[in-house]
Amino acid sequence: MAAAPLCAFTRTQKILVLSPDPDLAALFAAAFSSAEAEVSVLARGKGAIEALFIDPPDMLVVDQKLADIPGLDLVAMVKSENVYRQLPVALVMEESQLGTDIDWCAAEVDELLTRPMTAPMLRARITLSLARATRSLDANPLTKLPGNTSIIGRIQDLIDRREDFALAYADLDYFKSFNDKYGFSRGDEVLMMTARIIVNTVRAVGGPKAFVGHVGGDDFVYIMAIDRVEEACRAVVSSFDGIVPHFYDADDRDRGFIQSVDREGNRRAFPLMAISIAVVFNRDGRLKHFGEASQTAMTLKKKAKENPKSCYVLDKRQG
Amino acid sequence: MAEDLRTERKGRILAVRDLPTLPKVLEEVSKLVDRPDSTTEQVAKLISMDQVLSAKVLKMVNSPVYGFPGRISSIGHALVLLGFNVLRSIIVSTSVFEVMTENMVGLWEHSLGCAMTCGSLARMLNLKDAEEYSVAGLLHDLGKVVATVQLPDLKPEIERVVAERDVSYLEAERAVLGFGHDRINAWLADHWKLPPNIKEGLSYHHKPHLAQLYPEMACVVHIGDFMARVFEYGYSGDVGVNYLQPEALKILKIRPADFEKLLDELSDQFVELAELRFT
Repeated sequence: MAAAPLCAFTRTQKILVLSPDPDLAALFAAAFSSAEAEVSVLARGKGAIEALFIDPPDMLVVDQKLADIPGLDLVAMVKSENVYRQLPVALVMEESQLGTDIDWCAAEVDELLTRPMTAPMLRARITLSLARATRSLDANPLTKLPGNTSIIGRIQDLIDRREDFALAYADLDYFKSFNDKYGFSRGDEVLMMTARIIVNTVRAVGGPKAFVGHVGGDDFVYIMAIDRVEEACRAVVSSFDGIVPHFYDADDRDRGFIQSVDREGNRRAFPLMAISIAVVFNRDGRLKHFGEASQTAMTLKKKAKENPKSCYVLDKRQG
Repeated sequence: MAEDLRTERKGRILAVRDLPTLPKVLEEVSKLVDRPDSTTEQVAKLISMDQVLSAKVLKMVNSPVYGFPGRISSIGHALVLLGFNVLRSIIVSTSVFEVMTENMVGLWEHSLGCAMTCGSLARMLNLKDAEEYSVAGLLHDLGKVVATVQLPDLKPEIERVVAERDVSYLEAERAVLGFGHDRINAWLADHWKLPPNIKEGLSYHHKPHLAQLYPEMACVVHIGDFMARVFEYGYSGDVGVNYLQPEALKILKIRPADFEKLLDELSDQFVELAELRFT
């Protein structure tokens, strides 16, 4: 069995199983290697709750057959705490009991396992559940693009494998003044538009291995091949500049600027939004850590920001 | 006309799912999209010649799913925002007319002639985003296409009224359907969340002097419709030239000298266009 972690997880997944059934414990042992999952089995529900709250696992499996507390009650206790709401929970029960009176709308379980159960089926269901939870937890709620955890994981992984890549950080100039004047939902429109431009451009130019993430707010990241990144930057800048005026009201668009309030509370004129992109390169395994990449990018970004128009800055030392 | 009949017909029109087009542009766009070296500009230029494909692209990009309804009026921008994947699925899901009538081909040509005129006029007048004027020109008779597809039993009746009573297609539509294609355009623009300037061009091109929000757009499309008829390119459903509203020229501040310049420019362009075939 595999000696590496499951899926793209960087570490062994912790699975807590609450069940008095030794057969279930044996199935878990057969389904996952120790590098993939560290499975702890507890026979009693009540005693497990405190441990669960202090050191939450990556996945919780609750047997309906628990002697001291009904499985669904325990799930409700865990899920009522907002910090554990994202924890994926599977309920185990007899298939023959599915017809009994269970309110599935109120049951906050994410996965259902029924006996009789085989090890391959258990492995498939639990793995899908873990992967799904990571995807939905990390995705940006607005654009649905991968968020920080995925971005950092992707960059660190490329660094560890000493692969050449270009890492671009993009953000918007004068986004805040736009948001202040037009409100959040108009701001969200601009972010959705920006995400579409970046994703389509990076995919078209960078091919299937290219990656786009949404750090949050107006900050985006993309990773692609070194020799194509400048072409992508040029296309993103020109598309953004062509499209963004249409997100302003006609009179502001004709004037070419908006009246809004700056950070000090003074009314002043702000130009139309622009996009600034800073690109860092990793060649011959020069970068050792994700932090180095982001720090260099931030320095470059300051340079890109000196230009009020849309522009991109490539890391000259390696570019 | 009874209110419930009108509501029923409006419902049938807005229920349009599968709007067919003519095969020529569709085939060429699919070929182009499959080539690895084709650019967004090339694809946009081709799609801008077909009113149904253009309408589908704009309907898609302005749908709330993408998060910015009513913002995009340009085919080029729409393609950048949708990406080639979505474009491919639009192409694959578009059917062609089973029976391609001469009148339908004529309507495609008329729309393209109108679009071309609108673009030239907007550029001559230095209006911002000239491409959007040609988009509105291209789509100005879309209501006729949708009515034909969704209310096929009434189409021969409209044609009969045009021929027998010597009235315009618009008047015949009003007599038979209870509303004209300008009204259908307004419904479609609302339903598909098209930008307000496009909507105004589509729904006021027969009465541009009444347009409130984007009078320039309505006036340009009005003149585009007129010019395509003057140059006898295509067929919009009736013979002859529509009445040119003098207010349209006034609102756009077009002087006689401008008009001559436009006519010269258009003569050359319509000659080029005449070589193009939709079949």
